[in-house]
Amino acid sequence: MTTLTDPRPGFRFVSPTASREIALTLTIIVVGALFSFASPHFLTVNNLVQTLRAGLELAIVSGGMTLVIIMGGIDVSVGGILAVSAIVIGKAYQAGLPVFAVAPIGLLTGTILGSFNGFLTAKLKVPPIVATLGSMYVFSAIMFLVIGGAWIAGLPGTLSPLVNGAVGYVPASAIVILAVYLSCWIILRRLPFGRHIYAIGCNEQSARLVGINVDRTKIITYAILGFLAGLAALLYVARMRNVEINMGTSIAFEAIAATILGGTSIRGGIGSLLGTLLGVVFIRIMQNGLVLVGISSLWETVIIGGLLIVVLTAEALANRRKGRPS
Amino acid sequence: MVFRMTGIVKRFGGLIALDHVDFSVEPGEVMALVGDNGAGKSTLIKTMSGAHVPDEGMMEMEGKQVHFRSPQDAWSSGIATIYQELALAGKMNVVDNIFLGREIRKPVLGIPFVDFAAMRKRTNELLRQLDVHIPNIDSWVESMSGGQRQGVAIARALNMDARLIIMDEPTAALAVAEVKKVLDFIKRLRSSGKSVVLISHNIQDVFEVSDRISVMRHGRCIAVRETKKTTPQEIIGLITGAYEVPAAA
Repeated sequence: MTTLTDPRPGFRFVSPTASREIALTLTIIVVGALFSFASPHFLTVNNLVQTLRAGLELAIVSGGMTLVIIMGGIDVSVGGILAVSAIVIGKAYQAGLPVFAVAPIGLLTGTILGSFNGFLTAKLKVPPIVATLGSMYVFSAIMFLVIGGAWIAGLPGTLSPLVNGAVGYVPASAIVILAVYLSCWIILRRLPFGRHIYAIGCNEQSARLVGINVDRTKIITYAILGFLAGLAALLYVARMRNVEINMGTSIAFEAIAATILGGTSIRGGIGSLLGTLLGVVFIRIMQNGLVLVGISSLWETVIIGGLLIVVLTAEALANRRKGRPS
Repeated sequence: MVFRMTGIVKRFGGLIALDHVDFSVEPGEVMALVGDNGAGKSTLIKTMSGAHVPDEGMMEMEGKQVHFRSPQDAWSSGIATIYQELALAGKMNVVDNIFLGREIRKPVLGIPFVDFAAMRKRTNELLRQLDVHIPNIDSWVESMSGGQRQGVAIARALNMDARLIIMDEPTAALAVAEVKKVLDFIKRLRSSGKSVVLISHNIQDVFEVSDRISVMRHGRCIAVRETKKTTPQEIIGLITGAYEVPAAA
């Protein structure tokens, strides 16, 4: 058991055992190898860079989702936050605002909607899954009310270098993802705030007792997720140059799936950003690879869903064996 | 006198849980609090620790009148309560637990980074001071023995500059060797000038470490005895009501 209880400080980017990260990395290598054999188009720079760009929003949102789930929360409304932020961004562009005004407005929209979720769970004590389910309905209603059935199209791509550009041989999307994860890692592992996120996820009562401002920590953490959803919306608009009516519908569940597959405990208190990032890579590679080898992408959802059930069952069994409910 | 409560009344609906209780603790003293189930011990310590607000009466900490509205109020006045369930974060390590909510910061460009090195150093000092043996302070506290976790909880209280430490049944559910360890922690706290309120059902433990014993019965503090001048028989008699105490007490 020593390895299980020995989170070496040098490995703090990963979970205490690093076992999930290792397992995911191996799975990605195996799956990647299979796809490379099955399709000549899989292991090409073009395909991988395209996959990276298409996975940008999911990667960004999943980083924030990891913080929220480690805190023992969850947010199923991030798709709604993404969509509403994108609409605000679209409308702001249409109103003729320059990009240096639009970008802060978009980020602020996401942050405000995120803090609204935090307020519901922290101050009104609504269980997070119910609170964010409610706000998801509200956010999608806002979206329909504002743009009806129409798209907002023909938006400027001023920020598209952040998605499509490259620094030397390094795609800009990779740099953005790296910057987001590095920031999240500093928050989670190097600031007192991150210790408080873990403490609330472990034992909220104890966190309150030692004087941690639990409500404030919750609101800020949901706000961080909202901010990242706003950032994702900004990059989405830069990439697509339009806002669709069905955007963001699946991103919440994909982000939760990536986080859980990456080893973060749905009960809170345990989790790692590297695991989440690998979870995102795994989900995106499955989606891309299955399409390339001509299998219906429905199977991708079946596989991800099946793996989630396996992971959660294993966690439940491990907890039962320890005989410690809650 | 480090702590004193006078005339404390706590009602829950029609039930009087504390009936004009007077209770005090001297500096550097281990005060045992004993009584049968439902005698009011838990309500009393919850009042001391800020979890309950009393309906009547007055509390003083170090000569100043205090009104606790939350456990945080009590902690910041120097009263730390170590509950049976210990209130530790199980999936965090010893250093994180001891410094939870009061991390040592080392700002870089105004960003308050956690100073892990300083926290580890202080953790080792605290554990040495209490003589707690933990092979690896990077382990999750969940993986530790009951005695080690008591040690971590006490170290946290010391680190928060607690002058009065309330321990609720610290030896319940511990192995024999661990019980001795926890009693040693209590003696060490006393010798470093801290006051301890010890709630225990185990009369043997109470006689081993306490200086005085307060007996509660039916929501009243019916007797205070010096441990050296009383006997287990007398205390048990007081707890069960076999010895009636004159109403004046």
